Amino acid sequence: MKKKILVANRGEIAIRLIRAIQELGHAAVAVYETPDEMSRHIRIADEAILLGDGPRSDYLNIEKIIWAAKKTGAIAVHPGYGFLAENPFFAKACEMEDIIFIGPSSEIITNLGNKVTARKIMSDAGIPMVPGTPNLSQGKEGVEEALTFGSEYGYPVMLKATCGGGGRGIRRIENDQEMVGQIPMARSEALAAFNDDSVYLEKVVLNPKHVEVQILADSHGNTLHLGTRDCSIQRRNQKLVEIAPSMIEDQGLLDKICETAVQAAEASNYFNAGTVEFLLDSDFNYYFLEINTRVQVEHTVTEMITGIDIVRNQINLAFGNPLSFTQEDVKPRGHAIEVRINAEDPKNDFMPEGGKQVSVYRSTGGFGVRLDGFVYQGYVIPEVYDSLLVKLTVHGFTWDETVGRLRRCLQNFAIRGPKTTIPFYENIASEKDFLSGNFDTSYIDTHPHIFLYDEDSSEVGKLARLIAEIHYRKENPYAA
Amino acid sequence: MTRINQGTPVAQIVETLRNAEGYYITNTARDLSQSDFKNRILLHTDLMAAPARERAGYFSLEITGGASIHVDILRKQVNPFLKLRKLREAMPNTMFQTLCRGVNLFGYRPYPQNVIRFTVREFAKFVDVWRTFDFMNHVPNMLAVFEEVAKAGKLNEPCICFSTGPEHTDDFYVAKAGEIIEVTGRDIVLCIKNHGGLGTPTRIGQLVDSLKQKYPDIPLHYHGHNTDGNDLGRIIEAVKNGATIVDAADSAFTGFYGPPPILSVVQSLKEFGYVAEGLDEGAVIETSEVIRDERQYYDQFESQIKGFQPTVQIHKLPGGAMGSSLEQASKGGFLDKMPDILHKELPRVQKELGNYWSVTPGSQILWTTAVSNVIDGERYGNPSGDLKNLLLGKYGPFPFYKPDEWIYEKVLGDDWVTVLEEEGGVEEVENMDLALERYDLAEQLGVEPTDEQLILYLQHPNDAVEFLKFEEKYGRVYVLSPAVFFHKGGFDIGDKLAFRDHQGKEHMIEIGPSPVTDTGETSVYLTVDHHQSSFTFKPEVTLSEAGEAVLSKEEIIDLAKAGDVRSPFGGNIVEISADEGQEVLVGDRVAIMEAMKMQTPILCEMSGIVTAIFAKKGDALKPGDRILKIDQDE
Repeated sequence: MKKKILVANRGEIAIRLIRAIQELGHAAVAVYETPDEMSRHIRIADEAILLGDGPRSDYLNIEKIIWAAKKTGAIAVHPGYGFLAENPFFAKACEMEDIIFIGPSSEIITNLGNKVTARKIMSDAGIPMVPGTPNLSQGKEGVEEALTFGSEYGYPVMLKATCGGGGRGIRRIENDQEMVGQIPMARSEALAAFNDDSVYLEKVVLNPKHVEVQILADSHGNTLHLGTRDCSIQRRNQKLVEIAPSMIEDQGLLDKICETAVQAAEASNYFNAGTVEFLLDSDFNYYFLEINTRVQVEHTVTEMITGIDIVRNQINLAFGNPLSFTQEDVKPRGHAIEVRINAEDPKNDFMPEGGKQVSVYRSTGGFGVRLDGFVYQGYVIPEVYDSLLVKLTVHGFTWDETVGRLRRCLQNFAIRGPKTTIPFYENIASEKDFLSGNFDTSYIDTHPHIFLYDEDSSEVGKLARLIAEIHYRKENPYAA
Repeated sequence: MTRINQGTPVAQIVETLRNAEGYYITNTARDLSQSDFKNRILLHTDLMAAPARERAGYFSLEITGGASIHVDILRKQVNPFLKLRKLREAMPNTMFQTLCRGVNLFGYRPYPQNVIRFTVREFAKFVDVWRTFDFMNHVPNMLAVFEEVAKAGKLNEPCICFSTGPEHTDDFYVAKAGEIIEVTGRDIVLCIKNHGGLGTPTRIGQLVDSLKQKYPDIPLHYHGHNTDGNDLGRIIEAVKNGATIVDAADSAFTGFYGPPPILSVVQSLKEFGYVAEGLDEGAVIETSEVIRDERQYYDQFESQIKGFQPTVQIHKLPGGAMGSSLEQASKGGFLDKMPDILHKELPRVQKELGNYWSVTPGSQILWTTAVSNVIDGERYGNPSGDLKNLLLGKYGPFPFYKPDEWIYEKVLGDDWVTVLEEEGGVEEVENMDLALERYDLAEQLGVEPTDEQLILYLQHPNDAVEFLKFEEKYGRVYVLSPAVFFHKGGFDIGDKLAFRDHQGKEHMIEIGPSPVTDTGETSVYLTVDHHQSSFTFKPEVTLSEAGEAVLSKEEIIDLAKAGDVRSPFGGNIVEISADEGQEVLVGDRVAIMEAMKMQTPILCEMSGIVTAIFAKKGDALKPGDRILKIDQDE
């Protein structure tokens, strides 16, 4: 029977969710704030409802989303990523209103969202953990606990907000002095950002690889994994390039990591889709980092190598259906790479190009290419939302083929108006450590030359400007 | 049939030339472009011609130097270094030749030694043959270039500038050649630079013979212009008397003031049993077939006056200056005075100023003085700064005799004897602080400049910065054909412009509609590679950016008569000749402006007191821009 599902998000992920909903034969309801009234997700959805003027505040307003679902008769809500995706109160509100929340239960989100609770669950289940502390006590006592940890495990250590996530609320501490100074600042920052000033410590794993495992779990006791991803290429803990599977050659180790991920999911009674993140040190020890209780930006790479539609499965699982395949049916093939093409200036600390209009937009295509986009010709980069234009995911039989495809696809793009991250990715796609699959979280810092590129490597837009001028002025003013 | 390939060591080149039975041809494409097309032939056309020219097997392709460096960045918007790189890719075996004005390099005034050496070093990476001259035939003015060319392992081709008249004897030129050989050594090619295309064929034959008698081991290169339609005759006599290399150009583009057609030279000399060494005649013919259709797009740059000018033997203007002189006369509205200027005043000024060689920058001094003498009525009444410098000996000593004292007095003032004593002599230009110049350029561009960018900046500071900013904004535009680049009157809707960009990618731009909004803005719609783009133009920007006068010529004159002195044309301020508070009379010079090579004094149209000065030395002004204000003396 055709059901209405509300998509509580915007941008490319809203479009991604709407596509899956429509493919299942259901109807998608979009929500939007006034600044988004020209946005694509509204046009693609089966219906759309205005939440308010925002910006952002209405996408984050639980009451309004619930109101919108009821008003449109949606029986389920998909939160996407960001906004309310990992807010347990939103999941709880849906549960209370008998709206199906497409994701894990509010209890699971609460437990895994609290880093300290999550660490306890995992260590009880025997999952390898980066050495760390429980929540530090308030005041002097907490500082003492921190200094003791520092002297026991050595510096550097990470000071983390218990309720933080997505790279926020993390500080690196190099010595006792910094520890004493940073704890109060971290607390006040955490209080402001997450309304909870709890912090804890973790030992720093130096230059690790970031390896994560996609999990699917149904409500009938079945949990399986869709293999690994590597998201090591990051800046300030924000992922830039994601690949699947991990490039680690030791298949036994990867299998072990995947099994551990399934154990971790089971230990937390996980349900629906999730991601278990690990750090892998240079001696191939791996440590549990966290479980993300949402669909992730980089889920596309896993979909490409497994052929399994994660969002479609999320919906089916949320409706109470059992997984329609077994672990043995999951047969990853080849390699996939995803890059986030943002309207940002990598040379200027990835400053977003808000307010600029995309005057020309030409994308790529062909074999093994997937685009998850929001941009269109004429699109104005919003100043109040993110600057993601389109996610490019390429799939190939071998790593070399995949990187070659990535390079080709990046060259195919023609985007005029804002600066984009394309030339930056082009440099990565030609860089020899990347070509040999050899990279960890220090990659961006240790390869500064990837920031050296000509701003606009394709010249047709510039030449078009001159031709427009010759046409308009009825002669070439620069040749007179 | 011995072809000389690019990369051959200098000694071996010269040896091959010494032993050559036939003669070689230099395709003088740059001089053709300068003489007959105001230097506008685009790299696009030269790249079209490149494959056939490469196969033709010339001694060299003269493709850079002279005024071309300036025009490349000023009017063609192409980097002269990029041009050489692109041509080298297409023509790996052909030697490239330049024309260098000695201390004046590719400009109009002496440069500091360190700038000369730096510039020559960078260009020598691409240029194999260095034709160097000095308009006073003053050998010390060429020394730095000779030295740097030799250091770079490239071929020196020093010139003796040629002219006619009682002083211009074989003895003089043979001695001049001796002076040159003394400093360069004998592994050179010596050029007879007949920039005016002067003298009869017999005269050139005699000169070549005299030089060969004295220096049989020095290969001679005859360079001429076809202004009188008779250069072919001079070339034939030059070769018959022992010249080893001659200049000619592709027939599809030959005009009235540049070199004659290559094929005509080859066919004529064949009659006398001379073979063009290494030359593939088929490729010569093919070159013209390939580029013939492009000529129509350069029509606007061809001479205002059609036909050969045998009277060049009287006025002696160099072929390279014919086009720009006629253009100036046309724009300045004194085409009707040209017979007087060319046939009466110029020869007179030439004689009065020492009968030196009429070539850059000396030809501009003669021309400007003659024009000023005729137009202003009072001979030598408004001398240019360059004429002063000439009399002061800044460019070098007069070769034959000095001008009469009355001219010194007129130009330098009543105390000319003292002025000459105190300021006279060859100008020693102080070295520039290149690090500081680099810093200044970086400030203006916002990025660290390359050596090549710095060199362009050192030659032409304002124009180089404008060009580099243009390139940043509009890209590398040499990929556009002249049909597009020089297009006038707007395109038609639906016109499809296909081109290949600098990276070699094919593009198609289709012209769409250009609606005007209520606010007067025009949006030009283009379909760029199947995707629509629009470009918006604000009406007020039109006037200033297009460089068109907001004021008419008449209005500018009227304003000047009311004391509001404005720039009558687009150009740079060379000098502000009055101070604030100074009393000035009608006819006084208050400023000097320069456009291209021409200096023009700006004269007072109203007596009074200078109350405000708006422009300063070095400013680039558009027509109608304010220079200064004169108020009535009360």
